[in-house]
Amino acid sequence: MIAQNLMLVLVLLPFVGALAAVTQPRGAQRGPAWISGATMAAGLVILAALRGPAGATWPLRASLHWAPSAGLDLAFRLDGFAWLFAALILGIGILVVLYARYYLAPTDSAPRFHALLLAFCGSMLGLVLSANVIILVVFWEMTSLLSFLLIGFRSANVGAREGARMSLIVTAGGGLCLLVAMLILGRITGSYDLDHILAAGAVIRAHPLYPPLLVLFLLGAFTKSAQMPFHFWLPGAMAAPTPVSAYLHSATMVKAGVFLLIRFSPALGGTDAWFWMVTGTGMLTMTLGAVIALFRHDLKGLLAYSTVSHLGLITALAGLGSETAILAAIFHIVNHAVFKASLFMAAGIIDHETGTRDMRRLSGLIHFMPVTGALAIVASAAMAGVPLLNGFISKEMFFAAAADWHNGTWLDNALPLIATVGAAFSVAYSARFIATVFFGPPATDLPHLPHEPVRWMRRPVEALVFICLAIGIAPDAVLGPTLNAAARGVLGPLIPHVSISPWHGLNLPLMMSVIALLAGAAIYFPFARRISEGPEGPPLLWRVRAVRLFEIGLLAVTWKWPRVLHRAAGTDRLQPQILVLVCLALLAGLGVTFGRLSPIGQRAMLAPDLAFVLMWIAGGAAAVGAAALAKYHRFAALMLLGVAGAVTCLTFAWASAPDLAVTQLLVEVVTTVLLLLGLRWLPKRNAEIPGDRLFPARLRRARDLVIAIIAGAATTMAALAVMTRPPGPSIGNWFLRNAHSEAGGLNAVNVILVDFRAFDTFGEITVLGVVGLTVFALLRRFRPADESAGRPAQQTGKAGEIDDLPMLVPSITIRWMFPVLIVFSAWLFMRGHDLPGGGFSAGVTLAIALLAQYLGADTRWIEARITVLPIRWIGVGLLIAGLTGMSAAAFGYPFLSAQARYVELPGIGAVPASTAMAFDLGVYALVVGATVLMLIAIAHQSLRSARQRERAAEEEGEAA
Amino acid sequence: MFAADFRIILPEAILAIWAMGALIAAAWTVKDAATRALTWATAALMLALALWIGTGTGVDSAFDGSFVDDRFARFAKVAILLISASILLMGEGYMTRRALMRFEYPLLIALATVGMLVMVSSGDLIVLYMGVELQSLSLYVLAALRRDSPRSTEAGLKYFVLGAFGSGLLLYGASLAYGFAGTTLFSGIIEATADGVSLGLLFALVFMMAGFAYKVSAAPFHMWTPDVYEGAPTTVTAFFATAPKMAGMALFARVMFDAFGNVTGDWQQIVAFLSVFSMFLGAFGGIGQMDFKRLMAYSTIGHMGFALMGLTAGTGLGVQAMLVYMAIYVTMDLGAFAFIMSMERDGRPVTDIRSLNLYSRERPLVALAMLVLLFSLAGVPPTVGFFGKYYVLHAAYDGGFGWLAVLGVIASVISAFYYLRIVYFMYFGRETQPLDRVMSPAAWVFVVGCAAIMVFGVVNLFGVEPAAAGAAAALVN
Repeated sequence: MIAQNLMLVLVLLPFVGALAAVTQPRGAQRGPAWISGATMAAGLVILAALRGPAGATWPLRASLHWAPSAGLDLAFRLDGFAWLFAALILGIGILVVLYARYYLAPTDSAPRFHALLLAFCGSMLGLVLSANVIILVVFWEMTSLLSFLLIGFRSANVGAREGARMSLIVTAGGGLCLLVAMLILGRITGSYDLDHILAAGAVIRAHPLYPPLLVLFLLGAFTKSAQMPFHFWLPGAMAAPTPVSAYLHSATMVKAGVFLLIRFSPALGGTDAWFWMVTGTGMLTMTLGAVIALFRHDLKGLLAYSTVSHLGLITALAGLGSETAILAAIFHIVNHAVFKASLFMAAGIIDHETGTRDMRRLSGLIHFMPVTGALAIVASAAMAGVPLLNGFISKEMFFAAAADWHNGTWLDNALPLIATVGAAFSVAYSARFIATVFFGPPATDLPHLPHEPVRWMRRPVEALVFICLAIGIAPDAVLGPTLNAAARGVLGPLIPHVSISPWHGLNLPLMMSVIALLAGAAIYFPFARRISEGPEGPPLLWRVRAVRLFEIGLLAVTWKWPRVLHRAAGTDRLQPQILVLVCLALLAGLGVTFGRLSPIGQRAMLAPDLAFVLMWIAGGAAAVGAAALAKYHRFAALMLLGVAGAVTCLTFAWASAPDLAVTQLLVEVVTTVLLLLGLRWLPKRNAEIPGDRLFPARLRRARDLVIAIIAGAATTMAALAVMTRPPGPSIGNWFLRNAHSEAGGLNAVNVILVDFRAFDTFGEITVLGVVGLTVFALLRRFRPADESAGRPAQQTGKAGEIDDLPMLVPSITIRWMFPVLIVFSAWLFMRGHDLPGGGFSAGVTLAIALLAQYLGADTRWIEARITVLPIRWIGVGLLIAGLTGMSAAAFGYPFLSAQARYVELPGIGAVPASTAMAFDLGVYALVVGATVLMLIAIAHQSLRSARQRERAAEEEGEAA
Repeated sequence: MFAADFRIILPEAILAIWAMGALIAAAWTVKDAATRALTWATAALMLALALWIGTGTGVDSAFDGSFVDDRFARFAKVAILLISASILLMGEGYMTRRALMRFEYPLLIALATVGMLVMVSSGDLIVLYMGVELQSLSLYVLAALRRDSPRSTEAGLKYFVLGAFGSGLLLYGASLAYGFAGTTLFSGIIEATADGVSLGLLFALVFMMAGFAYKVSAAPFHMWTPDVYEGAPTTVTAFFATAPKMAGMALFARVMFDAFGNVTGDWQQIVAFLSVFSMFLGAFGGIGQMDFKRLMAYSTIGHMGFALMGLTAGTGLGVQAMLVYMAIYVTMDLGAFAFIMSMERDGRPVTDIRSLNLYSRERPLVALAMLVLLFSLAGVPPTVGFFGKYYVLHAAYDGGFGWLAVLGVIASVISAFYYLRIVYFMYFGRETQPLDRVMSPAAWVFVVGCAAIMVFGVVNLFGVEPAAAGAAAALVN
């Protein structure tokens, strides 16, 4: 139990440390470094403690419940492999912290740096310790994110920003691929538990999803470990401060990829696809990386490509997957971490002390800094694989694995050769590093005069070089048990113990080493001058730069294509948006029904009637004309619309719906009149629109016409389809049957309105009243635009002609019609219960009577004679309707129950009267009020503009 | 009977009566002087109602099943009420600075909220439509709240015209559904589809889905979103981006499962199409945007695509994932908009993301909070946003939509670009004139608070998971 808790503490500790570091005061230098160092030291102590008691019971597991329904648990496990990695992360971490303490400039924010470093360390620990693959991906992405912040630490530097961004895009993108891979793994094995997945290797490899899984998984691992062709972010990330480079690119970040490869090799490996992709990529990366490294002039650039190359080596070993290969891979991970960290630190010291990293300017530094020089020479000898140093042994093991393992393919046969070539270039660039930087004549034109760094800045390098030597001389004593435990963690507890010795006698791997050393020297020394004078990169290849390709691609994807897309598909204008919506609706409708729904159903159709068809053709033509003229001549368009409306009314009458026809007709009239009054404020005709006669405009209209025709046809088809099928059970019949017996009315429509569905009608008239008031409220504040405030053309005719008596004949006729219309309205109202008519039609009729007066005469003339108070009409109407409804309560019936059959009105006796009549009266009053209110609001506009003109004229007069 | 029904709709009724009563009272008395008090009172009322609804149990239905009160409805309602209250609280500073504190504003929000509460509880097409329209009408007015700005007016008009079109599609579908199923009750429709869906009902389904897609601004019915987001006052935009989306998604899920739950196969493909289209449109459309609000519009579209992915799965887990995703999305957007509201220079609001250059130097904590929020919007682990994405991807994958999950991952990678670009500007941009320091305390609390949730919420997804699971179980059985 203690061990479990210790493990959880181990993961949590760096994050707590990060929190402590980031809350240090801004200028603090020592405090954050101490926190950072102490945290990592504590982590190492815990790790040591876990090694002691728990060694026998690996893997050690601990978990916290989190979101179990999604298969997510914060589960951690520790085995030999994870232990080794954790030790590397923390051990090199401490040295980096110590180094950074002296490396960071006073202007750098130490709290931020150490907090980020600790958080990164914690994420790496989480990554290597997680027992749930989803949690693993979470930590994986955290490392990408934190490395972004660490690489971009000096954010004022353009290179740092670019490098940080690139590394984030590549590694986080790879992380997403990895996430999908893990989801597929979970799908195949039914669990996200690492142990469970590792045990299910056979099932995974046989599954049809194995190929995509493998590709996604490898994309994740390769992007992180900077394998070709994703290697380019790593050199770019060299803009980071040196401690960051030393940490990220030796022991941690880039090793996460190979960690994953080795960890999953028992489950995913062993197939041909795995071998070709992993070993192939690894060998390619190793060789090309080594070649490019030789030609870099930047010290850190050389080290970066060397890292790429060594990671390729480890990847290739993971691809082989044999026991020796895995052991060699693990061993090389450790060795590379140790010597590369020391080299980065040495490069940092050189940069720090001389002010440059350009190898063409550096020379003879051994005279200025002998100790550092000696350390760097030993470390790069280890990198080159010189005997008695750690790099030599793991490289020997690599050669042995490459030579021993066979599956008969050409790649397998070529492995020893490729390995030797790669190793030769590795020797060559190591030689270049040593020869140019430390030997030769002392440099003269350096920015600073170089000297040894402060003692404590060199200590980490000393420690690391000491480890190089220790491992190189006594590998089994130093690392033997740990490595074997790690290999058992990967491959299972049954594999035999392997003892590692620095000397295997004269055998093939040793031969390969010797050849590589000699060939490396032979490659470098004859061409040393040429290389340093040449371009930054290998001959021919230096022009092809993956970074450039990446940037071009990124620019296209993130800027050019979206702009094209946006220009093509996006719009701020309403018309195209509506067009798209209409087209979509059409497509949806047609897509669902096309070929499945015949427009002609089973019901028999009526015989066509010539008059009806002609009437419809006229109506259709009027509608088309209205649409065509809407833009150019609004008045004509409105008239044509009126024609179409009239045809609709006639159709209703034709189809035996007189009530509907009457209502529709009246509504048509009211809306037309209101529109006419509104048109007063718009330009009368708009004949010339710029560009309207040009081809694009014509094309656009033609397109709209086609769409309109299709939409119309589709609507027609839909209507036809519905009407030619037998209707379902309808409530209409019930109303027809019961209108008279239940409600005492013969006109079913009116009975429905005022009796059966009176509650709805009550709601509707309330809404109508609200709308009337709203229109009034809006128009009350309406001020016509200046250009339309002038006198209309009819009123500005030549004086004496029409100005004195405008529209004499129509206006007299309208005046005579007034009483007739009032009577007609009363008649419609009274007959409503049994015949077409009713409160609504009657109300609209009375409103028309009033409207016509406003049309036919001057507003002031009318208002001097008739006083209509529309708001009172609305109020009274609502009150009557409401009270009628409530009166039912007095007799114990629900709201709005009509009482035709229950209450005989006293004194009238047998007259079939219904309280619904009273309700209808309310409707009547309200309709009149609301309609007239809107009318008055519009009519008064011209009054107001007339007043405006008068006032303007007065002012002019006064001014004159 | 009526009393029993009324007891079930009591929370909605209280809010509606409050809004209408306050509207009349304020119109006849002090008018805009009361806005502050009304804002706080409305927010307090909403919080109280959220608490009340949140503690409810059981399943009730009112008005013959046309209004349903179950765990699913309660989950959505609590979320909607909390969002509306949050908008009122955090937007006060912005509305005051912009002189938009009209007394109608909190009441319109309240009325829109009532509409949404009705939407998510609807058990009948008519109730559904009533809720949708009550919400939409209030939103049309809110979009045009800044009457003297042509932008805002245009936004309101566009929203209205296109919204009317969307409502029309919905209504057309609903009337066809009534015609072919013979009932407007969801429980009746699901019986009518017990042995497959007839062609007419399929037609109805397609049109209703188009209407819903419009309401949640899922592509290809998204066109209004950028314009309206840009034109409306930022507080209102924040409201648009959160509460109606939550309500719309909940409604979408409710209709799909309560009315068409027997024929999941028929609508899954359509939802999948909406999802893919939205995700990619959101991802690509946002890239070219330099206006923060337009960018957030595309972000919304993309996120709706992800939420729809959960629905596509057609399973209980899918609905749960959708609800979790929506809860996370809403939290992120509230934080982000609280920040956008506070972007001002020389007393004028700015929304160009380039004005954020080196913002991290001005206000490190707020910049850090925004960094977290933007990472979360992009779905970068270990923020909560990642877990939202993970949930829906997982659900889609389990539901047999592996290809959809793969496309989702690709879209999320693409869309990460524009979120990260904002971070880039804030941390690495070049020197410009800094923004004013006008962030109101409430807005600050929301930016930092939401960011904190995005980080510390990973421990148990801020408790939303079990609630969402219960809600999904109430809907899918």
